[in-house]
Amino acid sequence: MARNGLRYQVATKWQDSFRRFNQREPGISGLIAFSQAWDVATEFLKPRNINEPLPPRQYTQAVRAALDVIHKSKRLPTLIETFLSQVESLFYLIQQEVDQFMIEYTADLDVGIISKMVYRVHEWMKEWTPATELGAAFQSVYINFFQTHLFSILPESFSSAFKDLIASTLAPEEEGEALKQDHQIWSTFDALGFIDRFESLIASVGYEHIERHVLETCTGQWGEPMLTPTRDWMTAKIVPWMIHVYGRNITSTEEARAMLAGVGSRFDFHMAKTLCDLRTREIFDIIIDFPDSEGALKDLKECLQRVDQRAALVQSLRQAHRKRLLHPGADTKLILSQYVATIKCLRIVDPPGVLLFKVADPIRRYLRDRPDTIRSIVANLVGDDDSGDALVDETEPPRPLQAAEIEDYSDPNWEPEPIDAGPDFRANKPSDIISTLVSIYDSKDFFVKELQILLAQRLLAAGDDQSDKVEKERRNIEILKIRFGEAALQVCEVMLKDMTDSKRIDQHIQSQQASVIHPAIISKHFWPALESSEILMPGQLKELQDQYTAEFTKFKPDKRLRWLTHLGTVDVELEFEDRVVEALVSPLEAAVIELFSEQSEWTLDDIAKRVGLSQPNILSKAVNTWLDLGVLASAGEGIYRVLEVSAGKGAEAKDHVHRPTTVEVEMPPVVSVQQQQAEQMRVYWKFIEGMLTNLGALPLDRIQTMLKFAPGYDRTITQLAGFMEAARREDLVTVRDGMWKLNK
Amino acid sequence: MEQLTSSLAPPRSNNKSNVAGTPQPAAGSVAKRLSSELMTLMMSSSPGISAFPRNDGNLFDWVGTIEGPAGTIYAGLTFRISIAFPPNYPYVAPTIKFETPCYHPNVDINSGAICLDILQDKWSAVYSVQTILISLQSLLGEPNNASPLNPDAASLWDSPEAFKTQITKHYRPLKDESA
Repeated sequence: MARNGLRYQVATKWQDSFRRFNQREPGISGLIAFSQAWDVATEFLKPRNINEPLPPRQYTQAVRAALDVIHKSKRLPTLIETFLSQVESLFYLIQQEVDQFMIEYTADLDVGIISKMVYRVHEWMKEWTPATELGAAFQSVYINFFQTHLFSILPESFSSAFKDLIASTLAPEEEGEALKQDHQIWSTFDALGFIDRFESLIASVGYEHIERHVLETCTGQWGEPMLTPTRDWMTAKIVPWMIHVYGRNITSTEEARAMLAGVGSRFDFHMAKTLCDLRTREIFDIIIDFPDSEGALKDLKECLQRVDQRAALVQSLRQAHRKRLLHPGADTKLILSQYVATIKCLRIVDPPGVLLFKVADPIRRYLRDRPDTIRSIVANLVGDDDSGDALVDETEPPRPLQAAEIEDYSDPNWEPEPIDAGPDFRANKPSDIISTLVSIYDSKDFFVKELQILLAQRLLAAGDDQSDKVEKERRNIEILKIRFGEAALQVCEVMLKDMTDSKRIDQHIQSQQASVIHPAIISKHFWPALESSEILMPGQLKELQDQYTAEFTKFKPDKRLRWLTHLGTVDVELEFEDRVVEALVSPLEAAVIELFSEQSEWTLDDIAKRVGLSQPNILSKAVNTWLDLGVLASAGEGIYRVLEVSAGKGAEAKDHVHRPTTVEVEMPPVVSVQQQQAEQMRVYWKFIEGMLTNLGALPLDRIQTMLKFAPGYDRTITQLAGFMEAARREDLVTVRDGMWKLNK
Repeated sequence: MEQLTSSLAPPRSNNKSNVAGTPQPAAGSVAKRLSSELMTLMMSSSPGISAFPRNDGNLFDWVGTIEGPAGTIYAGLTFRISIAFPPNYPYVAPTIKFETPCYHPNVDINSGAICLDILQDKWSAVYSVQTILISLQSLLGEPNNASPLNPDAASLWDSPEAFKTQITKHYRPLKDESA
């Protein structure tokens, strides 16, 4: 059964085919005709080796008739297949050549070889292309087949070679000729299908070219905005190139615009990103260079709007700060000025201040930990900075300190916080720099306190020609009043008034009884704690002091003078047998030399007893001054004697006669904030003493809670523990089972 | 020659006249007055007297300590007292009692109540804890025998030997207990 069925089927097929080929011609004449036509057609189409001399193909009548026959027999697809398999069988010829070219290229690395190769392959392709008369479908099948095979035979190294070739088309060349040549090669690329296949490769060449250009022209160029020149360059150089690559089929300007909108904006984005990355890397130095680097900042602002690199910028800047700024090697003043520059720069880049807020946080935290931050800021505020590099812009009018503002939603210009603002972001309105600096600390009291100390130092150091300097300080204080408010600077006001008052008082006392002493009389209550001194003035100095005190008491019976003997200066004139020495010295030095008018030889110990000074190093410093001036001479271990007759060094001694020696007057020792803290701890000790006396032994946590009776107590229990431990070492307290007890 | 001097504010740290320096109570804030008195007391170093709030929560209940003044019969003894401030302090005197039994003509040996004019009819708002403590300290050496709370003690005052015996009999030294 099965055999019969099969036989029948085969027979039917056979009949079918036969009939188709034979075209209902008698006998097998149709079949013969078809066979002849097939031969003609395949011969016509047959791919040939172009290295051999060949007659040009001719689309003759015979060929057309043959193709007609095949078409009628519906054997065209088979014809194509046969043709393609012939192409495939000859492809080894192309492969050989390609391999040859690649070997040459690997040896020379000359992209010219690659372009030759491309042209050659194109020739092969053209040669084998079936005649257009065969129809578009036939051709496109062929092109597809050819390209597929071509790609499969291209070696791996081709893509990098091709990349080099593309790059060479971008390299700066002579216009005109090059362009024409370019046009030719691009159309060849297109014909071979390279452009579609290697599109990303070509684009990456473009990107790399842009990158290189940006890095070459923009690195370190911060003075002018570079974005516009770079865009101009893109228009001049990249766009024509792009038209080759992407604009082959463009006929109308409409299409060109559409192409540029798509591809062009991709390239523009890449350019912006490259520039943005570059500026992000450079940001720290850009800030250092500010305001000479404003151009770069404007670029950065524009790029950031195009590219979302804000997080990267913040990170880069924070890292740079950590590495280059916030370490012990950096001066506080430097950190402050960099901080101020950062504020100014980031305000240009990002007006709402989100970037600034994120970047500033670590700096502010670091500054808070530095002990001399307040001092630096205040010194800068009052223009004490010698560097002349004031943080505050002189032209900026002083404004009151601004507290963090609450958002005003009724403001018609209100804008929501930027999208990358963190939850703790406080809209820092573009307020002035000082407000920002002061806000590093929670309270401005620190500043006022430090200001007071600084003012005290400056007033006391003002010396004889006071009035000018006092005036200057007054002006400063007036300006600062605008910032910190009248009330906060009341104390400073009193200090300034003390200076003028003491001048008036002095005038009055001088009119009663002329004296060489001109004291500055300060109100203890309003001045920062000054180091007290135990120096006792001997001899005539003591008399002068006492006289003055007596006059003062007459003038102001309700007040009492307490001398701070160690401050101030003394103008002395020493008469010797052979010379006169003039010098401006410190009171201690004056006291020492005064002693020598009583007797001509003193031991250091005796001097110390008389002037009531226990620190030998300070005393020997004073004695050394006189040794240097040639007034005293050492007479054995710790014994000094007056040189009534100059010690032979005539010339040098003479010098002293005429030239009053100015002894460097050091800054008056005003108790610093740290010392004040120690002083405060002493107050707390009184409280601890009080509670332990009355309440008996107490545990540490009870002491801590009870200390809240002490005004302003803000120590942690750990600090208290350290303090109690220190007190125990001094045998003031004992501890047993965690209970602290006074040591009686 | 130029010198720098400081003129003191009017003297105010003398023991007896210190009342003048005590800040006036801020309106409605007795606690503020008390804490400033505490501050003054802590910072003045009057020997032999001291006081401190008993608890951290209550400023109106203090514990005080008075040492017997040197040269008196009470020398070397330390007495603990309690001070209770009324809510309308300083217009009304605080209530003060000896917690350590004190054999004294003006002190009730059982209750510890004290007979001192400034704590009763002579009270004035300018007095402070410090003045009270100083007054009490001086009362130890100079009793007012005219109005005794403890008549036995008053009559015995003129014979120091017997008086001392009575003191030692009643006296209990302080223990360092935690309050």
